[in-house]
Amino acid sequence: MKHLTYLIIGIAVTVLFFILSCTDGFNIYELMYYHQGFNDAMFNLDMYPVIAAITILVAWGGAAIYYYAINSVKFDRWYHWLAIMGVVAVLAPVICYIYNDSVFANNNMSYIGESVAFEMQTVLFAALLYVVASYSMRWWSSNCRHTPLPQ
Amino acid sequence: MKRLPMLLMACLLAGLVLTACGGRGKLEKAVRTVLVSGDTTRASYDSLCSLVTANPGKYADLLTPEGKIDHKRMAEFIEGIASALRPPMHWDTRPYGGVEDLSLTVYFERSGSMVPYDQRGGGGQLKKAVNDLINHFPAGSKVDINIVNDGIYPYQHTVDEFLKDRDIYQSTAGIGDASYTDFQLIFNKILEAQRPGNVSVLVSDLIYSPKDTRGVSLEKIFNEENSLATRVFAKYKGKSVVVQQFMGDYSGKYYPYNGVPFEYNGKRPFYLVIIGDNESIDQLASDKRYAGVLDPAGMRNSYRFNQGTSEVQCNVLPDWKDNAGRFRIRHSDGIVLNKCDGDRQTGKLCFTVAANLGGLLKDEALLTDAASYDVESIDGYTLTVQPIDQSMVTNNNKSYLDGMTHLLTLTGDLKSPRDEVHISLRNELPAWVNQSSSSSDTSTGGSFATTTLGLEQLLGGMFDAMKGGKNIFEVTIKLQR
Repeated sequence: MKHLTYLIIGIAVTVLFFILSCTDGFNIYELMYYHQGFNDAMFNLDMYPVIAAITILVAWGGAAIYYYAINSVKFDRWYHWLAIMGVVAVLAPVICYIYNDSVFANNNMSYIGESVAFEMQTVLFAALLYVVASYSMRWWSSNCRHTPLPQ
Repeated sequence: MKRLPMLLMACLLAGLVLTACGGRGKLEKAVRTVLVSGDTTRASYDSLCSLVTANPGKYADLLTPEGKIDHKRMAEFIEGIASALRPPMHWDTRPYGGVEDLSLTVYFERSGSMVPYDQRGGGGQLKKAVNDLINHFPAGSKVDINIVNDGIYPYQHTVDEFLKDRDIYQSTAGIGDASYTDFQLIFNKILEAQRPGNVSVLVSDLIYSPKDTRGVSLEKIFNEENSLATRVFAKYKGKSVVVQQFMGDYSGKYYPYNGVPFEYNGKRPFYLVIIGDNESIDQLASDKRYAGVLDPAGMRNSYRFNQGTSEVQCNVLPDWKDNAGRFRIRHSDGIVLNKCDGDRQTGKLCFTVAANLGGLLKDEALLTDAASYDVESIDGYTLTVQPIDQSMVTNNNKSYLDGMTHLLTLTGDLKSPRDEVHISLRNELPAWVNQSSSSSDTSTGGSFATTTLGLEQLLGGMFDAMKGGKNIFEVTIKLQR
């Protein structure tokens, strides 16, 4: 039951992150990086939900791959888990940047510098969500349930 | 029980993908794209309509019971999305949605001093202005033409014949008494006859020439003209009047107020006086199909007389070359800039507001003259105004500048923690009216070619009748540190 609670909390935190990334008045992405024209364009072109979804999918996907696909005693040390986190923290912003850039290009806009700076926070969000996802799903892994910290 | 965690995770991912990719719907995404790209054309509207008709089940609320587009609901749907954008936008889709065309009634003055405007040897600017006016109304609009002098007489031929007529005064010779123009009767008749959706246009030199002015002092004539204009227009509420000034070749006899005619060959001003309900004139200003009516070729000056203070759409530009210091635009009702910080070196805060002043129908000299505006604030902000030209528009700032006509740049020393900058455009007659008005027309010397006898008194009378408030428009920008 305790493990299921972790999972439900993890899902709740992730859903809350998604909701706060889509709202107009209080937007979690705009708290940390704000450049008026760029952020208005992101909002108008409806990119925040997609950026948030990509970040969540990569983070949860990375954790799922580690705990259920890799799921090996050979890779059950904390630094293996950390390596996957590194991959997630790089992959998520890269995919988001490619998406951002393609949408701006389709609308004949150019915000290269702003997009790069914006994606720095995706690094942070992806890493945090990876931790949330890990603590949500590690309990049902047959070989990595004690990674990163045994409990 | 073992499968529950997997099930929950699968639900999370599926919900996420659905919400991010399809939650808002294809139509809303398409509307957003059109608005953000500034491609607010009939073709775009038609493509949105085809999305609706292709999915009648999904968008049933946007269709009539017969399965056709409900343009009113479609406009509301688009407006709902547009107003939630940053900055809030507006797309007037009425022209595409079966809204009835405005009808046009032309009142063509045929007094003695109008005939020389359309001589065969002249440039024909007067006739061209009237032809352009008729042609700027969409094909199929109802157009009536009347000849006016001592009364109003219907033109006996078709609109096509009028357009082709190379000598309009010859073909209308003998209609009414061309020796005087009874403006009181004409304006009264025009205003009385006007129905909603109708635009009436008087084509005239706006020289008040009542019957038998011999021995009457000019001052008395001017006073009579002024009070006549006020009396007539004050009687009819809810009207807007646009006066457009043109220059035309004049070749023939001129009849001055003292009754001694003389020959004159040269330029002379003439006017189109466009009269309609406030809503009709607003439609002329906002509906792109009528763009040529209010901005015709050859127009020298124009002014809109109306009642009340107009709403003006404004957007603060986040990135602009003149900006100094830092601020953040709060997305709320009204314009609020928070987290304001002065320039590190000068301590000044400078920001630029793009405004759509086109609907006010005031002449450019008035709109771009900072002295026409009052600016009130604690920190003493100063204003400069410049028109927007196409070279200023980039893809990144298009959503802020689209549909806007002028940039209002405000500069001040940021000292107070909170400030309110209140900008208002004073409601007063523009300088061109005084510059185009004369108090004597007995000789061709001086500014005879560019002035009209008693114009200031006539338009001043109209202004007094229709002056709604102290200001033409007002906007307040709240500043917070």
